[in-house]
Amino acid sequence: MPQPVLRMNSISKHFGMTKALSNMSITLEASEVHAIVGENGAGKSTIIKIMTGIHQPTSGKIEVDGKTRKITGPQAAREAGIAAIYQEPMVFPDLDVAENIFISDNSTGVLVHPAEQRKRARALIERIGIKLDPSRIASGLTLAEQQAVEIARALSQDVRVLIMDEPTASLSAHEAEQLRKIAQNLAGQGVAVVYISHRLEEIFEISDRVTVIRDGRHISTKPIAKVTSDGMITEMVGRDFGKYFAKTASTAQDEVILEVRNLTLDGVFEDISFDLHRGEVLCMAGLVGARRTDVALAIFGVIPPTSGSIKFKGQTTKFTNPRTAIEAGIAYVSEDRRKLGLAMPMAIKSNVSMATLDSFLSPLGLLKREKEGKVARHFIDSLNIRTPDVETPVGMLSGGNQQKVMLAKWLNLNPDLFIFDEPTRGIDIGAKAEVHDLIRSIAAKGGAALLISSDLPEVLAMGDRILVMREGHQMSIVKHSEATQETVMMHATGQRQEAI
Amino acid sequence: MKNFIKITAAAALSLGTASATLAGGHSVSLTPGEDINMVLLPKFLGILVFDQANEGAQEAHAELGNTGELLFVGPTPENSTAGQIEIMTTSATQGQGAVMLSNNAGDQIVPSAVAAQAAGTRVVTWDSPIPSGEGEDVFVAQVDFGSIGTVMADMAHSILGGSGQMAVLSATPDAANQNAWIAAMEVALKGEKYSNIELVDIVYGDDQAEVSYNRALALVDKHPNLGVIMSPTTVGIQAAAKAMQDEGMCGEVGVSGLGLPSEMVSYTMNGCAPEFALWDFRDLGYLTYYTAYGLASGQMKGEIGETFSAGRMGDFTIEEDPGRPGSSRILMGDFTVYNSENVEAASK
Amino acid sequence: MLARIPPQTLRILALLFVLLAVLLFFSTQVPNYLNGRLFNRISSSVAIMALIACGQTLVILTRNIDLSIGSVVGFVAFATGSLITNNPDIPPILLATYSILLGACFGVINGVFVAYAGVPSIIVTLGTMALFRSALVEYSDAKSITTNNLPTWLIEFPNTQLFSIGTLQFRAAFVVAILVVIAVHFALTRLRPARKLYAVGSNPEAAEMAGINSKLVIFFAFISAGALAGLAGFMFLARFGTITVVAGLGFELKSVASAVVGGVNIFGGSGSVIGALIGAILIDLIDTSLVRWQLVSEFWREAVLGSLILLSVAADAVLMRRLVKWRVSREKKETKPEVQS
Repeated sequence: MPQPVLRMNSISKHFGMTKALSNMSITLEASEVHAIVGENGAGKSTIIKIMTGIHQPTSGKIEVDGKTRKITGPQAAREAGIAAIYQEPMVFPDLDVAENIFISDNSTGVLVHPAEQRKRARALIERIGIKLDPSRIASGLTLAEQQAVEIARALSQDVRVLIMDEPTASLSAHEAEQLRKIAQNLAGQGVAVVYISHRLEEIFEISDRVTVIRDGRHISTKPIAKVTSDGMITEMVGRDFGKYFAKTASTAQDEVILEVRNLTLDGVFEDISFDLHRGEVLCMAGLVGARRTDVALAIFGVIPPTSGSIKFKGQTTKFTNPRTAIEAGIAYVSEDRRKLGLAMPMAIKSNVSMATLDSFLSPLGLLKREKEGKVARHFIDSLNIRTPDVETPVGMLSGGNQQKVMLAKWLNLNPDLFIFDEPTRGIDIGAKAEVHDLIRSIAAKGGAALLISSDLPEVLAMGDRILVMREGHQMSIVKHSEATQETVMMHATGQRQEAI
Repeated sequence: MKNFIKITAAAALSLGTASATLAGGHSVSLTPGEDINMVLLPKFLGILVFDQANEGAQEAHAELGNTGELLFVGPTPENSTAGQIEIMTTSATQGQGAVMLSNNAGDQIVPSAVAAQAAGTRVVTWDSPIPSGEGEDVFVAQVDFGSIGTVMADMAHSILGGSGQMAVLSATPDAANQNAWIAAMEVALKGEKYSNIELVDIVYGDDQAEVSYNRALALVDKHPNLGVIMSPTTVGIQAAAKAMQDEGMCGEVGVSGLGLPSEMVSYTMNGCAPEFALWDFRDLGYLTYYTAYGLASGQMKGEIGETFSAGRMGDFTIEEDPGRPGSSRILMGDFTVYNSENVEAASK
Repeated sequence: MLARIPPQTLRILALLFVLLAVLLFFSTQVPNYLNGRLFNRISSSVAIMALIACGQTLVILTRNIDLSIGSVVGFVAFATGSLITNNPDIPPILLATYSILLGACFGVINGVFVAYAGVPSIIVTLGTMALFRSALVEYSDAKSITTNNLPTWLIEFPNTQLFSIGTLQFRAAFVVAILVVIAVHFALTRLRPARKLYAVGSNPEAAEMAGINSKLVIFFAFISAGALAGLAGFMFLARFGTITVVAGLGFELKSVASAVVGGVNIFGGSGSVIGALIGAILIDLIDTSLVRWQLVSEFWREAVLGSLILLSVAADAVLMRRLVKWRVSREKKETKPEVQS
């Protein structure tokens, strides 16, 4: 049996207390397309980052051609013949295609010969099997073309292992088809291709072997012939979640608070239609690139949709900015607390009063500091925010407590509709359960919640109904009673489509 | 010294200003040996004339046997305004007896100067006053601003041979000194003697060599019959002289104004800048120190009409500043015009 | 035919067009405007700024900025003057080399802090701008360098007429500056290590991924800028003769303006030193012409200068966009059949 090109040997990677990878072993052979699949957060990107030297493993070692090798950085990875391309390609927008390919190639000496370089670029591009003028400036290229440039760059450096991370997520069907051909073509030339994708049909189409990972652990590696899509999904989601997330009875009322019809944003999502009732929790499930957040932002007025209608509390509305949406009674709790949600250096109480500052002003327009403190203390108690006092800067709190401050900020508004976008990402299990309780109590009090989550157990535990999206399309709306991890995953990966 | 053409401004050109000594006032003679800390604050550091002023102040410091400290501190050139305000504030907190300021911060210095006065620090300006006079005890003026105008008009007259076109290359459009001097020159030019001299343009070189140099060339391009470039700033005059020399135009256009002998000597000797004028910055520093010492030690009150004796320079009287009504000044008055006969000796 | 021209060249054509427009405009406003004298004025005057803008461009290409460059020019001019005053026999080449090396040393200081200590360049160079200026104040001891202490060859050098075309004189300083700009331009377009400036500025993350040593590249940019500022300091000394502590004050912003007007992207990754040179010429031309324009008073000149600069940048951008759009539509037309196949 030939020597494997690359072997990850019981690699573990810890980030503080979080174990991103434990005892992960993967072997890559020459000329194979090796797919790695797993849920969001299973550890795929950590594997890539370790292979490409961006992260160093906490323990374990990597062998290249049978020899142990420390991959200290991207440079070392390149020297070992490992390259990666991503969903968002890493090109130099100001340079032309040929230069993008050869920028760090020092083999032809110090002097650049543009014509010569273009000739060599053309040869490489032909090897990949596409058409691309090497003198074009990269900023004008499509994503697919940019990826091709990256692949050509890797080829110019005699790549042995080419990692493709969700390469087709942003491509059109035709482009994706072309890219898969490229991957197989390269494997045919002796390269070990690592292929990471949420699209299961792709995996069946091109890969030779599939490795399933879950929660940072290796679950299985099998030849593709011995894998079924149901079996693969079961392995991916297989954890026993029921223990800590139990579904409670629905509190949905009859009144429809939000009615979305044929909502479309050109090139992003289309024909999204659903009703949301008072007291209901509607989950939006899907994989990376499903465009759930874009739908939420369109409802919240951040990105105006191209067409379709939104009725909120019985009135047709068209929010053009978040402020009007907030005034109408919609709150948006975002995934990225740092970017959209909280002012990290400011005190808890200031963050809580921020969205509703008007109600904290005296008739003279001065801030009522006492009231601000009182309100903040109320939420600290009711939400169980662990903090020394209301003056503590939000940045000093743990992720879970930050998330609760953010909720407090919005709760203070008493909105009718809450949009939660990945509200529990990156927070610990205890805080997660508290956030879940809070969402349920909002619903019980007659509020409505639209919950975007990539955490399948969470979706199944929280959603009265589950709207599954895939690449900008609404795949189905599943009732809680009919929802299982497998059915949701099938819809999310495009294995099954239902008429609405 | 005998070659120097000395003009005592107050005597030769007193245009209704208060005369040097008011009748009845007796001259305060300062008691040496007090212990007073003082700060000499120039526009910014690294300029020769300010260092000369410091030398004069140090001379007076030693002469008066002040047991306190005389500090020469200033901002760096790129930070002049903010730096001056900061030093003024610091001096007040340190409880300095007096700050001697060559103001480059316009009226922006006022709040910090007022605060310094409130803290018991005397503020004496020299070279360049506080425009509003607020926060300032007294301004020690190098020369009567009116006399500078006449001197410049005279130099132009001499270079042009009585008739021709003149243009001014100044510092910045908002430089208080230069504007006052140019205004004084415009007044002087109305005189019969200068009726054939035409002031055709005023441009500003921002007190920077390269801008001034280019402005000088732009002037000769714009006015083909130009005979004199008058530059009342040491940076401007030498940049203009260099520009005329570089372009071989010294025969057509003469450069004049206020300059430093050491910087101007070669241009004066080769005829590019036949005549220019300046006062002695050592004397200015010396007189400023005497004034500040007298005020800070309480021996002088700083009232208008008060006369005091400033060591080797003789008696001076505080008077109302004609250019800034309500403010007071002490006029130093001596003024030197340099030409090919005296410039070499002075440049040493 | 236009479709074959690379965008950088298009940008320069657009700039030249704006330059021509400015020339024509002022020729209708100012008597005796278009003549050899104007060329001589602008060419002599721009020689120094061309070098500084060239150095600034190298730094801006890497997404950084060098605000200390004016202080470096001042210090080097003074130190060089001081050296030659005390040792009048130093041969010209050696003296120029001294200036360049001294400038490079200042570049090393900036480079270490920005590239290796990871402090943002605007903070580092804002600090070193004051620091280098203070060093000059300290070093000068309030003395000035004066023309009469400098050797004749040095003073005569910048205005030495090398050759002339009609009434257009080509003087040494200008010719040296042009040669340097051309050399740097050649390096930036043809030398692999210099191309990495563009890569790092264009996409720092991708540069890291492609195995480019970004730190070294940025370090190199600052050293080169320092060396060019050093050479500019030498020229400054030769041209103005008298050097005080204010020498080179404000050059940092003028050089940034020249680069940006010249089409160098302030966010890094694109631009050329030829563009920066034309930018410097354009600003100098507008500035000089405004002084000669009777219509504009001194107090409005700065404002008019600023507006004209903005106007020419806007005109250039609009022209550029038109050209690019036109090209893209051409490209699309040419490639459309393939896409559909």
